[in-house]
Amino acid sequence: MRSLRRFFTRLANFVTRRRDDERLKEEIEEHIALQTAENLRAGLSPAEARRQAMLKFGAVEAIKEDYRAERGMLFIETLLQDIRFGLRMLRKSPGFTAVAVLTLALGIGANTAIFSLVDGILLRPLPYPHSDRIVYFGWMDKQRLIPDLNVPELEFCRDRAASFAAIAGFQGYGDQELNQDASKSWVTTAFVTDGFFETLGVNLQLGRPFGREFTRAGGAFAAVLSDSLWRSVFGADPNIVGRQIVLNNQSYTVTGVLPPDFKYTQPADLFVSAHLGHSLGDEGLNTDVIGRLKPGVSLAQGRAEARLLGTEFFAQASPEQHQGAGFLHLDLLQEYLASDYRTTLLMLFSAVGLLLLIACANVASLLLARAVSRQKEISIRLALGAGRRRLLQQFLAEGLLLGIFGAASGLAAAVASLRVFVSAIPWDLPSIDRIGLDSRVLLFTSLVAIAASIVFGLASFLQTRKLDLNSTLKDGRAVAGASRGRVSVLNSLVVGEVAISLVLAFGAGLLIESLYQLHQVKLGFNPAHLVVMHTPFTPPLASSTANVWDFERQALARIRAIPGVQSAAIVSVAPLHGQGNLPVQRENHPEDSIGGTEYRSISSNYFSTMGVPVLRGRVFDQSDFASSAPAAVINETLARDWWAGENPIGNRIVLGEYQGRQYLQIPQPALQVIGVVADVKGMLLTAPTPAMVYVPASQGFSLNGSTDWVIRASAPAGIATALRKAITDVAPDQRVTDLQPMTALIGASVSQPNFEALLMGTFGGLALLLMLVGVYGVLSFQVAQRTHEIGVRIALGATRREIWRLVVGRASKVAVVGVLIGLFCAFGLTHLMASLLYEVRPTDPLIFASVAVAVLFVALLACYLPARRAMKVDPMVALRYE
Amino acid sequence: MKQKMDVLQGTLALMILKTLDVLGPLHGYGIARRIEQISRDVLSVNQGTLYPVLLKLEQEGAITSEWGASENNRRARFYRLTRDGRKQLQAETRDWEQTAAIIGRFFEVKAEDLS
Repeated sequence: MRSLRRFFTRLANFVTRRRDDERLKEEIEEHIALQTAENLRAGLSPAEARRQAMLKFGAVEAIKEDYRAERGMLFIETLLQDIRFGLRMLRKSPGFTAVAVLTLALGIGANTAIFSLVDGILLRPLPYPHSDRIVYFGWMDKQRLIPDLNVPELEFCRDRAASFAAIAGFQGYGDQELNQDASKSWVTTAFVTDGFFETLGVNLQLGRPFGREFTRAGGAFAAVLSDSLWRSVFGADPNIVGRQIVLNNQSYTVTGVLPPDFKYTQPADLFVSAHLGHSLGDEGLNTDVIGRLKPGVSLAQGRAEARLLGTEFFAQASPEQHQGAGFLHLDLLQEYLASDYRTTLLMLFSAVGLLLLIACANVASLLLARAVSRQKEISIRLALGAGRRRLLQQFLAEGLLLGIFGAASGLAAAVASLRVFVSAIPWDLPSIDRIGLDSRVLLFTSLVAIAASIVFGLASFLQTRKLDLNSTLKDGRAVAGASRGRVSVLNSLVVGEVAISLVLAFGAGLLIESLYQLHQVKLGFNPAHLVVMHTPFTPPLASSTANVWDFERQALARIRAIPGVQSAAIVSVAPLHGQGNLPVQRENHPEDSIGGTEYRSISSNYFSTMGVPVLRGRVFDQSDFASSAPAAVINETLARDWWAGENPIGNRIVLGEYQGRQYLQIPQPALQVIGVVADVKGMLLTAPTPAMVYVPASQGFSLNGSTDWVIRASAPAGIATALRKAITDVAPDQRVTDLQPMTALIGASVSQPNFEALLMGTFGGLALLLMLVGVYGVLSFQVAQRTHEIGVRIALGATRREIWRLVVGRASKVAVVGVLIGLFCAFGLTHLMASLLYEVRPTDPLIFASVAVAVLFVALLACYLPARRAMKVDPMVALRYE
Repeated sequence: MKQKMDVLQGTLALMILKTLDVLGPLHGYGIARRIEQISRDVLSVNQGTLYPVLLKLEQEGAITSEWGASENNRRARFYRLTRDGRKQLQAETRDWEQTAAIIGRFFEVKAEDLS
């Protein structure tokens, strides 16, 4: 109570700036007068009486100070004083301030931006209620979670699991044609099973999720609309629930409408019921299975049950039904979704952390160097009785100012660039839209700034500890030879900066080399002057192979007639543009079967258009398209896998067959292999080429309900309109999507490595730049410190060359130590990023060597100006300065 | 200097409160003189150290002050105990006596008492 009252009085005094020093003065005067009178009565002379009274009273100034401290908030008052003083100091040396603040802004800004990503993707929960209970199923094989289950596995788990409130499947996204009031529009549809929305815990704003009756093969279909589709196409009709809508000529019952901000991994216009049966897709590992643990059930319990279910399923299922390997396992959905990005994020986060370290080392070395020029000022303060604590407080205040300015500018930069930055992230995540600067990011930034400030304040303060007042004041200038302690501190800062920048530059080097290797990947075709486009078939067209081929043939004829087009062909899926696979088996050889053989239906000149070499036999000609004799061309990989060294021509393969069992509902006749072509990349640039089977489009069937077109043209830029027109002239309703140069498709497939290499390259470059500034600062300071000594040397006959060697020699020794330490650290650290690299070993000696040379070069570059300055020292001036 | 003050401040405050309790309103010099007399000049602190303590007590609300006329007819600040101050004095007196009694008993203890 009492101390509270005292606190508020003091606070009030502080705020109202009450300064009744007069009262104390008057009291003291009266006190001394009374004591003097007393002394006079005791018989002392007037002068002695007053002297004794003063003595008895004590040090007036000290008492006044205590009095003032008691009255107001001394701590805050001196803090404000320190801040004012700090501001003045920063203003007095604008160069230092600018470099320090910019350096810090860079470090803090980069940290803020990357932390926003880490926070949004790894730390913050998914945007679903109790998202810590949402799990993802997969087969755990060799320490790796293989995603996706097949439908029998899903149904088996769903019907038996006791630990889960709901289990549901998700079968991907697709484009469908929505027929509404005689107008057609294309919508993105997600295919999900019942229980999907219950698993995610989303509450529909209208109606309810569809039940299991809508997922039975042969039964009715249901749809749940997104808020945006409901508003845009259905005018936010409140009676939408129960209405029928038509998608791809199929009728769906609307059962509900989603809340506005709902998203799974990608934006979707509506979610429709997937029919679970025994189709090709259902038998393969094509279904994402998610589940919601019941309240009170731990992840470990859920995992134990999943493992048991997996074993039970394996025991009861026929061997070919069980496609998974290892044991059935769960991960938190958030962890699963982020698993592809975890390494990247942690790498980036460490990189910016290191960058901040360099920035701090930089500022610390600047401060240290500056502390020398302030030695005299500080000595005077100490001599006048400033306490060490007070000095520390002042240095901390100055550090805090730097930290605040740095953090504010860094934050401003991060805010300004975050939108651009986030839009460059090539990842599909439910949380990506929420990445932004929130209170946690701000908290993080402030913590970083405060930590940095304390480091700076302490660094400057420690300087003053060994200060010898006598010599500093007597000399009237900074001590000539820097103390051994300071030299070693400065040198270790340089060593640290060089080492860290080497680690960063090396990481960047690896990623850039990896990106280069990716661009060197043998595509198997010539991408120059190649244009790709995609046509998802409208429902009536897709119904028969003959219709599709008719349309394709006519459209191809028109495309070939476009001026500038050299050749054009169709392929069901263009390289790097997706996949379309089915089981294929060598006839009568159950041991030679591949569950996911890539299947391409093509027009006759596909290989010539793409520039794919024919290795054996022949490719399709017009006669293959006219006749119905089943024929296939296979790629090199398949030929090697099944006929290692022998000639596959004339052998037969069966589509849809896997280990002796036929999976297609309408079995296809066996195909005769007529030729072998060179490997062309499948969906992924980084994956080995999959086994691939080509069939003539006149015989082929559409796996994806769409086809791709490849057009080689002399001037690809100008033909987009003509291409679209060629398609719509033949089929007015036909949509053309993804029209782009092949090079763009290749670019998109390396967007992730590109993103990583770009960021790490930037950070590595910044690290080198900061290191350059830091080393330059330290060396300039050291040269300035030794001006006198260098002057003496020159006066005594040292040549410029020797001076050069003196300065650069010592600096390069320090730099070499830094490089060695950096190499050592890099060697230990980079294996952590092995999974991000393609065809580059994390310890690639060539990159090691070149980065080391580059770092050394930058460090020596930083020496250049200070060394030149040392050489130009005029001995007369240097000595007279004494 | 400062650390020594902290130790002294508690007892000094108690002495001020007790002096004002016994003698009524006094100015700073008067308080200093009384403390010196009562402690029989054994305790010799600089008289000036009194003033920060007076201010502290005033800000806590234990005493109040107002201008009055001193013996030689000049303006002086007179300090007076408040009701809060009296309560505080009573509480602290009790505490002090208690502490003194405990310490006293410690000094009287002989080895055989503890066997």
